Amino acid sequence: MSANQRLILAVVLSFVFFVGYTAIFPPEQVPSEVNATTKTVANTQNSTASSNMPDAQVTHEVAADEQLIATDSSNLVSIEAEHFSMKIDTLGRLSSKVLKDEKYNNNENVHSEMVAQVGTKPLHIRFADKAMNEESLRTPYTTSVRETTITEGASSVVKMQQKLSNQTVTKTLTIYADGHYDVNIALTNDTRYFVYLGQHVMRKGQMMMAVHGAMVYHSDDMTTIVADEDAESRQNFNDVHLTSSFDQYFASIIYGLTPDTTVTIDRDREGDPIVYIAGSQNFTFNGYIGPKEYKVLKAIDPVLTNAIEYGWFTFASAPLFKVLSWLHGIFGNWGWAIIALTLLIRMLLFPLTYKGMLSMQKMKDVAPKVKEVQAKFKGDPQRMNAAVMEIYKKEGANPLGGCLPLLLQIPVFYAIYRVLLNSVELQGADWILWVNDLSRMDPYYILPILMGATMFYQQHITPNNFTDPMQEKIFKYLPVIFTFFFITFPSGLVLYWFVNNIFSILQQFIVNKQFAAMKALKAATNAKEEGK
Amino acid sequence: MIKKSLLSLLTLYQKFFTLIGYGSCRYYPTCSEYARWQFEENPLHIAFYKSATRILSCNQLFPGGIDYPQKHRFCEKPVKKAEDLTINKIKFWLVPSKNKKISIIKNFRFKG
Repeated sequence: MSANQRLILAVVLSFVFFVGYTAIFPPEQVPSEVNATTKTVANTQNSTASSNMPDAQVTHEVAADEQLIATDSSNLVSIEAEHFSMKIDTLGRLSSKVLKDEKYNNNENVHSEMVAQVGTKPLHIRFADKAMNEESLRTPYTTSVRETTITEGASSVVKMQQKLSNQTVTKTLTIYADGHYDVNIALTNDTRYFVYLGQHVMRKGQMMMAVHGAMVYHSDDMTTIVADEDAESRQNFNDVHLTSSFDQYFASIIYGLTPDTTVTIDRDREGDPIVYIAGSQNFTFNGYIGPKEYKVLKAIDPVLTNAIEYGWFTFASAPLFKVLSWLHGIFGNWGWAIIALTLLIRMLLFPLTYKGMLSMQKMKDVAPKVKEVQAKFKGDPQRMNAAVMEIYKKEGANPLGGCLPLLLQIPVFYAIYRVLLNSVELQGADWILWVNDLSRMDPYYILPILMGATMFYQQHITPNNFTDPMQEKIFKYLPVIFTFFFITFPSGLVLYWFVNNIFSILQQFIVNKQFAAMKALKAATNAKEEGK
Repeated sequence: MIKKSLLSLLTLYQKFFTLIGYGSCRYYPTCSEYARWQFEENPLHIAFYKSATRILSCNQLFPGGIDYPQKHRFCEKPVKKAEDLTINKIKFWLVPSKNKKISIIKNFRFKG
């Protein structure tokens, strides 16, 4: 291997590493304030020290947490519905919720579990009083209903009681078929206690690409996200509209809290966020656990749609999703909706494209001069480029697209990437032929290969003149790099890129054709003149 | 410091990211090259502003063509060594143009 070849190899590898690194460890993994507003209200501790405020002694303890996980609990109530089956254990916690729909199946094709088997579970109650807490962990809840079935559109009430020596806890759950539930917790004696939101399941595979952790959506449209492994100190929030523990597609959400309720994000041993809510003697709130599906969440309560987040790019991605789901409403298929979206973006850029095509009309006068200059400065690309540009300027004709349309496509692509990555709607969404799940990689590698092929062809028909031979080499290998890079990406995203390439090719094709026609015309008129 | 890191960022862009949409700039020098000359010759804020407006105007609504950066403030810097004045060592020609402006034009024979 020559030194030059080694250099090329090194550059290609570092390029792949760079792109790969930013994909695997996206910068938005750090806890971020989604809205531009500063975290004023968010992090300042409530100055009026209400009795509900957790102080140093009564916060979540890691050791206690582990004890709590280890606590033996068995199944108390089983709830069956058309789309899910739910279990409540003897500690009155939501211990399991399994989605029955096959489209939510995990990578091993097993029904998806919503509640983490390791970690805190939703609706777990922790008393601030240590003795009472100890006792509560040993005392099972009792209920009269052990099994219940929810019919579509209806709900089921589960009433549980825990009798402690000087306290009786009554937990009443109303569970609805659409996946949300109402909770009422009533105590006989007023005491400080906390209700847990629960942690999300650590899913294999795609956890690396999407943000996962806990979020609080509070006061004036502010979203605070604490990603897993990034939780640092305890943070308290008031006036919380919703709090959610989420991964790529699923979330456990608690909402319907009164403004004075304090929600706390704490950290566990791994630095993952743990969310708990300070309760009152007669405490009522709502919860949801399941897929972050826009339509479902909106039907339950519009505030829940705020639980769907796309990281720091939400401001661009959220409207984009609305457009995409509008297109889905028209076409009834997510694959065609993605293609329509690509076309729509192309159409938005059409005024620019059209202007460019018009200038092609003038190219017939320019072409021979350009050729002349290109021959004159052969071997000196810098000077050649300068001379060609001079001609373009003089003749008022410029065939190139420009940097702005190109740079504009980068944020658009990123927004689409975030939407497609986080939209649970795409799970199990089929398109045509072999593509049966747009949220997963193409099992036959057809889409990535098509993507690479179209990219290669696009490069092939786009004129270029490189000043640097090494750059030219990398340029030639770019389709190959992109193919490998896109192999594990969700098919929906690869589809977008592929269709985008096809539109680019079509556009270039028309331009080239026009160019050729001009040339032919010019040649014909020249021949005529010579013939005279 | 800032200038240096910005310039190395530009180099990174020119080496790799420009490849995704290679050869679409409507100008000479290309937008990235324009920005490079700006940052090398002008104060930071001027260079930022000029580069931004240049990129914004690099679309099909503008004619494109040759567009050299202008020197913001001209001051004479005496060359220390006589051998620095050979044709291959001069990087930019500062050429007076219309309206008392001074264009920055790269020497084609510069060998860096």
